Amino acid sequence: MSRRRRRRLAAALRHAALLAWTLVVLFPVFWMVLTSFKDSGDWVSWPTRWWPWVDFQPTLFNYRQIFHFGTTGELRREYAEQAYNIWKGIADSALIVTIASVASLLLGSALAYAISRFRVGGRNYAYTILTVRMLPPIVVAVPMLIYYTSIPVFFANLLNVRLEFFDTYYGIILLYLTTTLPYVIWMMLAFIDEVPRELEHAARVMGAGRFTIVRKVVFPLVASGMVVTLMFVFILNWSEFLLALTLSQPKVLTLPVLLNKFQSAVEGRLYGPQAAIGTVVTIPVVILGFVIQKHLVKGFSFGMIRR
Amino acid sequence: MTRLPDTAAAPPGVAAASTRSRRLTVGAWLEQERVFRWIPLIPVQLLLLALLAVPFALTIYISLLRWRLTLGFWTAAPFGGLSNFVDALTDEVFLFSIVRTFTFAASAVTAELLLGFGLALLTYKSFRGRRFYLTVFLIPMMIIPVVVGYDFSMLLIDTGPLNHALSRLTGQEVRIRWMSEYRAAQVAVVLADIWQWTPLTFLIFVSGLSALPPEPIRAAQVMGASRWQVFRYVQLPLLKPVIMIALVVRSMEALKIFDIPMLLTQGGPGNATETLSIFLWRNAWVFNKVSYAAAASVLLLVLFSVVIFASIRLLQRERAALEAERVPAR
Repeated sequence: MSRRRRRRLAAALRHAALLAWTLVVLFPVFWMVLTSFKDSGDWVSWPTRWWPWVDFQPTLFNYRQIFHFGTTGELRREYAEQAYNIWKGIADSALIVTIASVASLLLGSALAYAISRFRVGGRNYAYTILTVRMLPPIVVAVPMLIYYTSIPVFFANLLNVRLEFFDTYYGIILLYLTTTLPYVIWMMLAFIDEVPRELEHAARVMGAGRFTIVRKVVFPLVASGMVVTLMFVFILNWSEFLLALTLSQPKVLTLPVLLNKFQSAVEGRLYGPQAAIGTVVTIPVVILGFVIQKHLVKGFSFGMIRR
Repeated sequence: MTRLPDTAAAPPGVAAASTRSRRLTVGAWLEQERVFRWIPLIPVQLLLLALLAVPFALTIYISLLRWRLTLGFWTAAPFGGLSNFVDALTDEVFLFSIVRTFTFAASAVTAELLLGFGLALLTYKSFRGRRFYLTVFLIPMMIIPVVVGYDFSMLLIDTGPLNHALSRLTGQEVRIRWMSEYRAAQVAVVLADIWQWTPLTFLIFVSGLSALPPEPIRAAQVMGASRWQVFRYVQLPLLKPVIMIALVVRSMEALKIFDIPMLLTQGGPGNATETLSIFLWRNAWVFNKVSYAAAASVLLLVLFSVVIFASIRLLQRERAALEAERVPAR
């Protein structure tokens, strides 16, 4: 009897601790969503307003503003044109991140296959590539700016063509693609190593060519690993800030840069619209995270622990 | 990999088909192993060369110039020799930003490892509600660091909810100026980082704990070990490689931190939250001292190479230990 009671007490304590952390995790998110429904007077008032309909009247004003459904006179027009064009941010981010992630997944997986099966470059090559990713991106950002602005001049002198890389879609896509390659190679190497070579031998014996083997034997077996890797790289690119801030805008404007621009453009912070943009940006990634959550845990134990 | 004879154990018909398909087409030429193996390397190598090696070389060259963004194009800048390096090594702001970044990383990573490990210990076995906690705990990881910076700047304003909650709890008016006081701003950045990245260490530890082989633990229990003894003498040593992985992964990321302090405090007040990344950013884009920033980057490159080299050695050793440990368990 007492043993049972002790077990119950332990379970209760465990739940108490876990619920406390749940509160810590959810509170900032809750606060952001709450602020996004507040009117300008309620953002910073003291004592703080916690309860909608009790302390303050919730409003869709901020969302209407950021989505351009009737911009009011409270914001000057220049901000409405630049910082508030959230549709451009979403479209640019989606385009750049999708292309860069998929391309880096394909290139990286191919190389991971070659490293795993033919020892191209060897294991040390994979380690060396990984070091590239460990450097702070700012160390790359300073020379990248100079490099990207020098390329047009260089090509204009040499070939008489103008190749712009600064503030262009392909410029930023190429950079994202390159900076995520190390992760793709590293993760895919773990997945591909798990595919038994005997299967490939068998397929070869049956007369299948190399490309057929990759397409029909290897690919189906690592498909779930590729999904995990793609999601990981997607989230990395989606949240990338420093390189985009340095090498693009105003023509190319990803969401994190848009958010930052928004802050620096307006004197005195506009907490409501900020919170609204933050909520809008966060929702798709969190939904994506819920969808792949199970794979994420599995992929992690697979990639990190089992290798 | 040894080449397998195509006809080894195949039925005659299939072997004939494979010989027929080996005409001299582009596809057949590509499928030869000596060609096929190198194909994936070429585009990756070209990209790495063009987008990482060339800029690195450029950084080194520019660090030797005396160029500022306001001085026109860099090809026209005067040669400065090693003066930028001398300046950087005698610059207190630079040296202190190194110390600050490492202090920040040490405190944040320690807290994240402890919290993540504790939470993982509570959740790795199945119980009712486990899936709920697993799902919720991973949320902060999915939120963009820029948004986290914003979010915390809303939480931490003088008249924000945190101060309000603290006032309610203590019964007197608490007005900590989180973003404009030296120490408070540093604490705020660490708090935001802990909030965002504890989920990662938690994830690593949960998968590590649930991947532990059950045999040694059961053996210890049979021998009459208490729960604490099982944890201290069986589980913890088995987990050491996983802990090392979490430590290395998190330290590398913490040392690079840029987004959160940039959005939360802009490196201020004063230099309170000026990490290395923000220091370089300020010098290159606010003060326009590009050559100086390049020289500092080169110095950082050297410093980071040492850290990276050490951590890769550590990772390699722990990986080997992991694999060695896994074999008898199968």
